[in-house]
Amino acid sequence: MTLWDLTQGASAKVSSFKSNIQSGYRTRLSELGFHPGEHISCVLSPSLGAPKLYRVNNTVYSLDDSIASLIEVA
Amino acid sequence: MPIASAAKIALIGSPNSGKSLLFNRLTGLNQKVANFPGITVDIASGQSLDDSSIQYLDFPGVYSLQAISGEEKVAVEAFTQALEENLLDTVICVVDSTRLEKGLIFALQVLETCHNYNKPMLIAANMVDVLDQHSMQFDPQGLAETLKIPVLPISARTGLGLSELPGAIATANVPPQKFESDIIASDESINHLHAQQLAEQHGPKGDLLINTQTRLDSFFLHSWFGGLSFFVIMYLLFQSIFSWAAPVMDAVEAGIGWLASIVLPVIPVGVATDFASDAIFGGIGAFLVFVPQIFVLTLVVGMLEDSGYLARAAVICHKPLRFFGLTGKSFIPMLSGVACAIPGIYAARTVESTRKRWLTYLAIPLMPCSARLPVYTLIIAAFIPANKALGGLLGWQGLAMFSIYLLGIVCALLVTAIVSRSSAELRTDLPFVLEMPPYRLPSWKPLVRNAWNRCKHFVTKAGKVIFMVTVIIWILGYFPNYGESLGDSWLGTMGQWIEPVFEPIGLDWRYGVAILSSFLAREVFVGTLGTMFGIEGAQEDFSSLAQQIQDSGLPLGSGAALLVFFAIALQCVSTLAVLQRETGSWRLPVQLFISYSIFAYIAALSVFNLVELFT
Repeated sequence: MTLWDLTQGASAKVSSFKSNIQSGYRTRLSELGFHPGEHISCVLSPSLGAPKLYRVNNTVYSLDDSIASLIEVA
Repeated sequence: MPIASAAKIALIGSPNSGKSLLFNRLTGLNQKVANFPGITVDIASGQSLDDSSIQYLDFPGVYSLQAISGEEKVAVEAFTQALEENLLDTVICVVDSTRLEKGLIFALQVLETCHNYNKPMLIAANMVDVLDQHSMQFDPQGLAETLKIPVLPISARTGLGLSELPGAIATANVPPQKFESDIIASDESINHLHAQQLAEQHGPKGDLLINTQTRLDSFFLHSWFGGLSFFVIMYLLFQSIFSWAAPVMDAVEAGIGWLASIVLPVIPVGVATDFASDAIFGGIGAFLVFVPQIFVLTLVVGMLEDSGYLARAAVICHKPLRFFGLTGKSFIPMLSGVACAIPGIYAARTVESTRKRWLTYLAIPLMPCSARLPVYTLIIAAFIPANKALGGLLGWQGLAMFSIYLLGIVCALLVTAIVSRSSAELRTDLPFVLEMPPYRLPSWKPLVRNAWNRCKHFVTKAGKVIFMVTVIIWILGYFPNYGESLGDSWLGTMGQWIEPVFEPIGLDWRYGVAILSSFLAREVFVGTLGTMFGIEGAQEDFSSLAQQIQDSGLPLGSGAALLVFFAIALQCVSTLAVLQRETGSWRLPVQLFISYSIFAYIAALSVFNLVELFT
């Protein structure tokens, strides 16, 4: 299951990154809080496939499917 | 004390850390762009309001010192190069104390860099006023002791703690030691684990802001309410450019007219008066009139950005614009381009990704700007009957206007879709990860200051180029017969030379001259054509000129071709000059001018032949 599959209101722990993610993106996502072991919740899932809103600690980020589907959650 | 001997203090921080607000607060209006040899990004510099021996330097906001995009690399290199060349005395790392863990990941990178370059640093923990509002606290003293650098709790918004900043700078007189702890982890995650531990030990505890923010997000990103509020806000933005700026634009025009009426009678009649009247007052008037629009748009876009709405608007627009190779943040610059390309190009600064901004630059000049309106109105009045259909609901002229506006937008999206797919470099870009800043009331002072600086930038930088081209076109149109007849001028001769170019679309040399002169600004086309047909004040009286065009026997195909040509061609010296200033080179404006001219000509030729085939 990836972060993009998380429905509104659901939360999960980041387990890993997909192997095809660029190393720079992986580092950046880790710096922003999306690193293995971190609790992420999907606070808003707008309709029509718009980027979803995820909460990490006290920050909310919007991620589109191209990047959220590279983060594995469990 | 002169700036040269002042202590140079760098401000560095991530976007949304409040760094620029702090810089504005510390320096007031005493800002200029720092001139560092070899450094290509704009670093604002300003003398401290409280202590003239301190000069603050505002480095571009970056999320990390490990850059992943070209633009970030340039910004990070600017910082490390300034350290390397010993241009800085102390570094202030600004962090958001409400999101301490994230701020500390960045601060630890800065600490390591300052340790490597032997530069003292301190942390300015911003937004403590927000912590106070939520009755939350953090432990700056403990954090300072652990990191062995000064940590100053401040609020750039309220000014809290800022008076202690010079003292803290003086205290930070030794380079930081490398931060070490008992955590053992890989290089990639060590900073994060350190930051997590430090935030747990010294940071504020508990939930902050999120509940209100989520409620507002649920509204602004709701399928219906979100769409509706987006429409209303964009409508207001659009109105602000057209309506709020209009009276000031009229006032600017009237002011220049008034000044001309005083100055011109004093100058001896002849070339000097004509030059002052047409090139100086006419030329300056033509570009100064954009200033109110730039001011209003910069102010409104800044307000939307500061309030947190711009990030939400980017989320709403991201998916549809991604299909055309753009990003959600391209929407506002493009919408602004419908009023005028110049403020639109300035607004594109909000697009962080260099590639997406570059694609946005391609789209903006094709958006149907207001300068095209007089041309469209004239041609439509000359060719399309004022009849209405469907019981008066549908006017043919209105439909034609709508179609030509739509054509510009479609062309803009088509161009970006094709160009973004044409190169692998443009297809791959930063992923869409956008921090949703908290909703807040905008701070007016920095916004007004920013709008003022933007206008100043336009007048002083782009104004020079615009004025130069104005003078060249005036000389070509005035000599060798001293303004007696535009047709016999060098410009007129050039129009006759290029007549074979416009002949295939059924246009004679007069239209050629009008098109050439419209390079200055599109609306000049109407005035020039009026002069060619011998009608003074053509811009105020469309019907007579439209009638003249009709009576001259210009075919319908040529009218349609002219509309299409003006919808695509980039005839606007101001747009080209601003593009040059924003991209730092003439490459993009020249490429766009040539390619859009060819595109416009081919499209106009095709439309002419198509219409002529069916009429």
